[in-house]
Amino acid sequence: MTSESWPLLFIIAFHGLLFHAMPRFSRPGILFAATVPEAFVSGAGRTLVSRYRAIVWSGAALALGVVLLFPAALDPEAQGFLYLGAVAGNLIVGISAWLWAYRRAHAHAVAHSEIRVASLVPRDTSLPGGALFASGPVFMLLITAVLVATHRDQIPEGMGITGPPALLAFGVFYVAMMLAMAVSMSRRTRQIAVEGMAVAVEQRFRRLNVFVLVLAAYGVAMMVSTAILESIPALGVRLGERIAFIVLPLMLFNLAIALWMFRVGQGGHRAIAASARPETWGDATPDAAWKVGGLFYFNPSDPAIWVEKRIGVGYTLNIGNRSAWLLIGIALLPMIAAPLLFLLKGG
Amino acid sequence: MAAAPLVSIDLGSPTPAYRQIASDLRRHLVEERLKPGDLLPPIRQLALDLGVHFNTVAIAYRMLADEGWLELKRRRGAVVIARDAPRAMDRNRVDQLLQQLSHTAAELRSAGMSARQISAALQRIAQGAKP
Repeated sequence: MTSESWPLLFIIAFHGLLFHAMPRFSRPGILFAATVPEAFVSGAGRTLVSRYRAIVWSGAALALGVVLLFPAALDPEAQGFLYLGAVAGNLIVGISAWLWAYRRAHAHAVAHSEIRVASLVPRDTSLPGGALFASGPVFMLLITAVLVATHRDQIPEGMGITGPPALLAFGVFYVAMMLAMAVSMSRRTRQIAVEGMAVAVEQRFRRLNVFVLVLAAYGVAMMVSTAILESIPALGVRLGERIAFIVLPLMLFNLAIALWMFRVGQGGHRAIAASARPETWGDATPDAAWKVGGLFYFNPSDPAIWVEKRIGVGYTLNIGNRSAWLLIGIALLPMIAAPLLFLLKGG
Repeated sequence: MAAAPLVSIDLGSPTPAYRQIASDLRRHLVEERLKPGDLLPPIRQLALDLGVHFNTVAIAYRMLADEGWLELKRRRGAVVIARDAPRAMDRNRVDQLLQQLSHTAAELRSAGMSARQISAALQRIAQGAKP
């Protein structure tokens, strides 16, 4: 086994674990992105989960075997292809297993209930930490913009796409996107639990998701500001690798939140003792609106911009909602603008 | 701790969703589960939770505001207000509702309930109990 094998073994094992845990993340009543009856969950559903996991781990074992058994005999180029094939193959097996189980679970799906229930207690839709805290990244970029403007004659020439104005534009777009996502997630997500402790748990789960987005905006603003200020020698900013002391805790915090979300499952439902969990079944979205194995949600008649994911934990956009496309547009703009800018400026 | 008042609608019902919302809210108001000063969710929030168009909730809130139960707050939902003096009876509206009631009574008779049972059920409903 070579030293390059270790990260690959980790990646393959991580993918295996992730696919293994995926059915566990869903809310009660949802199995492989389908709303199924209780009898199925406790009966044939269990067998389906076992078979799905057997396929997932067979794929992972095969990929691990390829990495462990064949590395030394090949030249580096062939070895690279083999490793890539092992990781990609493992992913393909996992996805195929999911789609296989998805089709089987859908055959047992219950009809979508036309009964909707909502609480008449207003909920807190403010941003975690308040609007002032969430504006932090904007202020950070604003100060950077002022410094760039006042030192524009000292900006080294020929920086092209990595120059301060272009970087600033990139930062502004990404911060705007993260904050727009945070605000819309806070306000335009459906509350599924209506009674008991589940209400507070679900709200905490949502606020943590929103908080992650605000922190991501801070991360982008910090990295962009540092890169810009370091490129202007007259400012004397030399943070260098010390930026890791700021970015790393943010990443670790986000990782801790992600792990907590994996543990408590969708909407935080596992954070409540099984006996105290409400009788909510499903996630109040119709199965027919979920496309590509439960990956995308398309429902033009649903006013929610964000809905709980059916694969994994957290929220996904309702791509049938026009407001969601505004967010997608903001996200795509830098991806389209950056190459254009690159071409126009000639690199 | 008292349970949070809920609103429930059936999108498969022939009764329009806004009427179902208004009817549920009115029941909570009459039975004093919603008291003067209580804040109701903003229109967008309730519409989102029920998965209906914003206008559906807006119409329901407007109906109850017209009946004197709610004061609508821009962007903040609605506040339950005190209805100190009994409102003057709207004769046309009362006639309309009595007409509906007579149809319902006929349907109940047709379904097998006696006039005495219907009368007892109506009395229970009028006193705020479940039928």
